[in-house]
Amino acid sequence: MNKTVNINLAGIFFHIDEDAYLKLQHYLEAIKRSFTNSQGQSEIIEDIEARISELFNERVQNNKQVIRIKEVDEVISIMGQPEDYLVDDEIFEDEPQSSYKKKSTTSKKLFRDTDNSYISGVSSGLAHYFGIDAIWVRLAWILLIFGAGTGFLLYILLWILVPEAKTTAEKIMMTGEPVNISNIEKKIKDGFENVTDVAKNVGESIGAAAKNVSESVSNAAKNVNVKKQSNSIKSSSKTFFDTVGDVIMFFFKIFAKFIGVLLIIIGSFALIALAVSLLSLGVADIIHIPGLDLVDIANTGNTPMWLISLLAFFAIGVPFFFLFYLGLKTLINNLKSIGKIAKFTLLGLWLISIIGLVIVGIRQASEHAFEEHFIEKTEFPITFNDTLNIKMIGNDNFNLGFHRRHNDFKLAHNENGNKVIYSSDINVIVKSTTDSIATIVIKKSADGRDYDTAIERAKNINYNFQLKNNTLILNSYLTTNPENKFSDQEVNVILYIPIHTILYFNSTTKSYLYHSRRNDNIVTNRNTNHYLKILDNDIECLDCPDGDFKIKVNTNGVKINEDGIDINDGENSLKINEDGIRVKSDEVKVNIDSNGIKIETVK
Amino acid sequence: MKIENTKAQMRKGVLEFCILSVLKDNAAYVAEILGTLKDAKLLVVEGTIYPLLTRLKNAGLLSYKWEESTSGPPRKYYELTETGKLFLKELDSTWNELQNAVNIVTSQKTKTK
Repeated sequence: MNKTVNINLAGIFFHIDEDAYLKLQHYLEAIKRSFTNSQGQSEIIEDIEARISELFNERVQNNKQVIRIKEVDEVISIMGQPEDYLVDDEIFEDEPQSSYKKKSTTSKKLFRDTDNSYISGVSSGLAHYFGIDAIWVRLAWILLIFGAGTGFLLYILLWILVPEAKTTAEKIMMTGEPVNISNIEKKIKDGFENVTDVAKNVGESIGAAAKNVSESVSNAAKNVNVKKQSNSIKSSSKTFFDTVGDVIMFFFKIFAKFIGVLLIIIGSFALIALAVSLLSLGVADIIHIPGLDLVDIANTGNTPMWLISLLAFFAIGVPFFFLFYLGLKTLINNLKSIGKIAKFTLLGLWLISIIGLVIVGIRQASEHAFEEHFIEKTEFPITFNDTLNIKMIGNDNFNLGFHRRHNDFKLAHNENGNKVIYSSDINVIVKSTTDSIATIVIKKSADGRDYDTAIERAKNINYNFQLKNNTLILNSYLTTNPENKFSDQEVNVILYIPIHTILYFNSTTKSYLYHSRRNDNIVTNRNTNHYLKILDNDIECLDCPDGDFKIKVNTNGVKINEDGIDINDGENSLKINEDGIRVKSDEVKVNIDSNGIKIETVK
Repeated sequence: MKIENTKAQMRKGVLEFCILSVLKDNAAYVAEILGTLKDAKLLVVEGTIYPLLTRLKNAGLLSYKWEESTSGPPRKYYELTETGKLFLKELDSTWNELQNAVNIVTSQKTKTK
């Protein structure tokens, strides 16, 4: 018993055994592959199908009879093997379009040479394509794999995407020899086509069977009516518009190839960069490579690094892979499709990666959701009439100027050679108090996913200050162990200063003071380098110039600034400054200064 | 230089000329052309003819029209175009010259033997 398939061959309906169908399909596929589009592939195939249909028709007595493999074999022996269809181009050299045709048939195509393969025939295929010995290609692969690790990926890609050279015609195309009868005969004589090929083809046919059965049904329905109409149109000779169309298509093809090259370059570079970063990050998780710690410390969510890099790899890599694939497809005509399953798998991977990254992101964000403070309080006495100098001190190890930077964390080694995170996120706040002694309060804060983590991290902030000879020396940085990660560590130094005390803020403190008097803060960054007397919730500047001189005029020869007043209309001038008053005109000069009053007439 | 190459080239070279000759007087469809060529033992398998026909058609030497068939799919009836006729005439005279030349050369050889 045999399952049958219904087919439509050139508009005629046939019942055909499944095995016979597969054989016929394989035959037609093989013929199709022996022609290029420029030779009129589709038209030739149509004619051949029509002829086969005719031959079948002669062999079928009534329409209940089924085409068996015997009939298919008969027809194939009449029609000839795929190689018989090929036309020797050399004979037709003087034909108008022959030069173009010759190029297209003699140009090499990339196939996998499974006859001379170690793994999949990619190397020997490439060797044929570039016209070099396969050993060099294989050496290049080894170098690529050990050099960057990208070779492996590329190899797998080529394995999937480059079709295997199955028919003799393909094998000849692979080597770049012109496909003609003599070459084919030579190949066959050389025993190129061997038994294994046949076995493979059968295996593949069985695999394709399920797919083909369903396709054939829908194809049968489609083809019946369309064919006649399209043929009547085709029979009219080539018109002017066809030629214009050809020219446009030619330029379009060149443009498409250009885009293809661009896509391949972009895609492959992105993939290589990704693969390198994935590898290095993944490895860094096990071996500690200096410099990569930064990434690890930023990762407050404690998600394994390899997982994040893998997710990122797929999330970014899959779109670039499709770009790359698209580029390859525009460049190499006979590129095999990667198949629906592969496409959907990649799409699924991509979606999963995106979702994974979102989850990681949420975890990361939740890490900062709680802000907990740990407050350390220290008191120290200052006698009443002393002036308290306040300055910041940096640390040579951390290479910081006296500039506060919010949320700017760096890694460095401290004087003991241990690795530490440092930051300059220090705020100095001054408040007045009615107590008789000054108090310094160090407020350390850090973020954490839960209360305990936050408090632990806040506690682990190291911050020091010292009081020496009426000078309060504050560190301009905080440090913490890298284990605590970058979790928005911050130190607020709050000084409670008794009223009537005098403070002097060194210019190094400028960056660490607030801009304004908010939250009871009474010293701003404009008050540095002055002696400040603390009042109740206010300050008095002891050495500031009275009434800040802010007026500045500089127009039409009139200048008013901190130097004084200067009026000059070109002929007469008046100058009032700290030296005195000086008036000058064409005729009279008046000077009033420490030497007294002097009036003199000119000339 | 292999004998197969030469043989194949010889046969293929005349095939085009023969196809045009078959169509010299009347239009014919593929099976008829094939019949004639096969009777003359010029063709072993049918497949060879299809790319040739398409090539000749694309070169403007042949044209075709569709005709319904009672016993199968519609048939393409090929006929010579005006250029095809001129082409054939030219080929005809070339062939005659060639035949003469070959005859002379080959018969001379037998004489000298």
